[in-house]
Amino acid sequence: MNRRDALRSLALVTGGLVLVPSCDFSQEDILEAYDRLKVTPSMKSLLAKIADTIIPPGEIKGAADLEVPDFILVMVNDCLDENAQKSFMNGFNGFEDYAKSKSGSAFGELDNKQREEVVLTGLQEESEDKNELRAFLGTTKRFTVQGFLLSEYIQTEIKPYSLIPGDYQGEVLISSLNSEKING
Amino acid sequence: MANFNIDAKQDRTYQAIVIGSGISGSWAAKELCEHGVKTLVLERGKDVKHIKDYPTTNMLPYEFEHRGQITEEVRKENPVVSRCYAFREDAQHFFVKDKEHPYVQEKPFDWIRGYQVGGKSLLWARQVQRWSDFDFDGPARDGFAVDWPIRYKDLAPWYSHVEKFAGVSGNKDGLPQLPDGEFLPGYPLNVVEKHFQHQLKKHYGDSRHMILARCAHINGNFDYYAQQGRAKCQSRNLCQRGCPFGGYFSANASTLPWAEKTGNLTLRPDSLVHSIIYDEEKGKATGVRVIDRLSKEMEEFYADVIFVNAAALNTNLILLNSTSNRFPNGLGNDNGLLGKYVAFHNYRAGVSADYEGHLEYTTEGGRPTSGYFPRFRNLEKQETDFLRGYAAGFSANRGPYADQNGIGMELKENILNPDKWGPWRIGSHMMGETIPKESNYVALDNSLKDEWGIPQLKINVDYDDNDEKMIKDYLEQTSEMFEKAGFVNIRTRDDHRAPGLDIHEMGGVRMGKDPATSLLNGDNQLHSVPNVYVTDGASMTSTATQNPSLTYMAFAARAAHHAMKNL
Repeated sequence: MNRRDALRSLALVTGGLVLVPSCDFSQEDILEAYDRLKVTPSMKSLLAKIADTIIPPGEIKGAADLEVPDFILVMVNDCLDENAQKSFMNGFNGFEDYAKSKSGSAFGELDNKQREEVVLTGLQEESEDKNELRAFLGTTKRFTVQGFLLSEYIQTEIKPYSLIPGDYQGEVLISSLNSEKING
Repeated sequence: MANFNIDAKQDRTYQAIVIGSGISGSWAAKELCEHGVKTLVLERGKDVKHIKDYPTTNMLPYEFEHRGQITEEVRKENPVVSRCYAFREDAQHFFVKDKEHPYVQEKPFDWIRGYQVGGKSLLWARQVQRWSDFDFDGPARDGFAVDWPIRYKDLAPWYSHVEKFAGVSGNKDGLPQLPDGEFLPGYPLNVVEKHFQHQLKKHYGDSRHMILARCAHINGNFDYYAQQGRAKCQSRNLCQRGCPFGGYFSANASTLPWAEKTGNLTLRPDSLVHSIIYDEEKGKATGVRVIDRLSKEMEEFYADVIFVNAAALNTNLILLNSTSNRFPNGLGNDNGLLGKYVAFHNYRAGVSADYEGHLEYTTEGGRPTSGYFPRFRNLEKQETDFLRGYAAGFSANRGPYADQNGIGMELKENILNPDKWGPWRIGSHMMGETIPKESNYVALDNSLKDEWGIPQLKINVDYDDNDEKMIKDYLEQTSEMFEKAGFVNIRTRDDHRAPGLDIHEMGGVRMGKDPATSLLNGDNQLHSVPNVYVTDGASMTSTATQNPSLTYMAFAARAAHHAMKNL
């Protein structure tokens, strides 16, 4: 079974659980697709909310629409070393408490503006005891941007990628470039 | 039964055997087959057919699970090959993994290998600068290694021969240290690269140059290359995946299919050469012992002439492992120098900078090459406290980037519409000549063997004081040139990489005039076993500063024609 199928079937099994707000993750299944991390479906759903806060849906799709949360976890699971994984997971596990300490309620209960404030504040934390939180949010932001820009949707429908970039022009006036704006 | 054996032996007999199907072996095979010679090409790795076996060639960025990145597990298991710039998710299947083919590092050496039909010709950087007599005269003038038995004039027609067929794009620059060749139209330099060119002229007159690097890409004469089934380079810059257009030269796209078309080629993948068979009565090599990669069974093949093109260090290994009563220390090794005087290119240093001029301009599209800075040090005469000199790559780049501060809709719109323009980014990397020394050697390990029972190679190669002085000079001179060109924020680096990562290892079976001090003669024949030719990197007496593959191709074609005179 490949990773996506595994995820899909797990989502079926645990679909109901995802909607139940819970602080006690120990009752939930661990998503097997990310075998080096201990991530539950509700954590993944929280990650989707964070990713959507970083790149929200609008005129065009946002991070969660494009399976960016899965991409983030795949990259953390497969491409980060153990130390970076540990910081990411510790920051991840502490995030809900951090959100509550900043806003008074669970992240999922905040409106978009409040969510943005929590994530932005978290990214800008400077104290040492927030290192892991900052690592978690920084890594999440980095992979959200990468996963969004390099998604099939963006690369085919919004900014089509070409395998053939065209002949080299070494002296192009920037003022002559087509600068039609893509609205988010 | 006796007849059966004779038949079986005849079935395994060819006129020529070429060991290795990479850049030099495929050239020997192409020349031999084209002239009617029944040729067996032995390749230790799996078959890679042009286009059909390029699994990632047309994949889009989002089709790579890790968007091109190597996973931590692969990186940890393969520390050596992971250091190679081209070992990424899209081309990792063309590289040897550390564990599969161990070797002994008496000193750190990053040995980068490609075991498949076509070898590293699928993966190379495609830079093809001719060597000149400043290079071939080098050892004699400066008193190191031994005198080359040939000069530029001996190789010049063969450079032309291989350039025309392989397809080389470039400009005629008229520089004695980098002779012009048979060039297809060159790619453009950009406005800042041209600026640097003019600044060098202004500050250094005719003594220093920056030119367009010549590259093995098709950029003209399209009907001619269509005969090979190859087309114009599309500047995809995805070369390491294998090119469906055959836009750059690889054995897979060019020389091997050409050889195959003659009906004279037998290509045998999964065939590791254990050793070369030497017949003492006949006083020559008569064939090779081959181990099937998969079944591990040994078989023999026979031929009148044998070309060893296994890639520099593996060519050394095969010859060292080819022992007999006559040659107890390796084939042709009467003087004990086989495996010694290995050298490489010093790639340790680089300089980067910014340029805040021409800010109204950028570039568009792609090109498969960049700028090149030919050697200027110690060219006409010795003028520094180190021997020889260095070439360097040079490029200027610019593109828009996005403000990635913030989050939310602001970030989303910023990254979809990158509109920030920083300065031009300037980069240069050094390619230094290293001096072959007896103390830089490869040898067979006494006890360790690989999965097929072949002794592991131990490698003992290091930098020396000359290299350190050269790095210092490159950093100083490049910084000075950058400063004079008005570049700012100049940063120098020495990454202290191990030798090997340049993937330009050479020597061990050097050419020379005297059998007492060299292994090969001026026609690339082993002095004492003249029906064995070595025409890959192992044969190099010195390293010059230019990327060496073009020179291996020229030597291979030249030696093949020499061999055919005696068939």
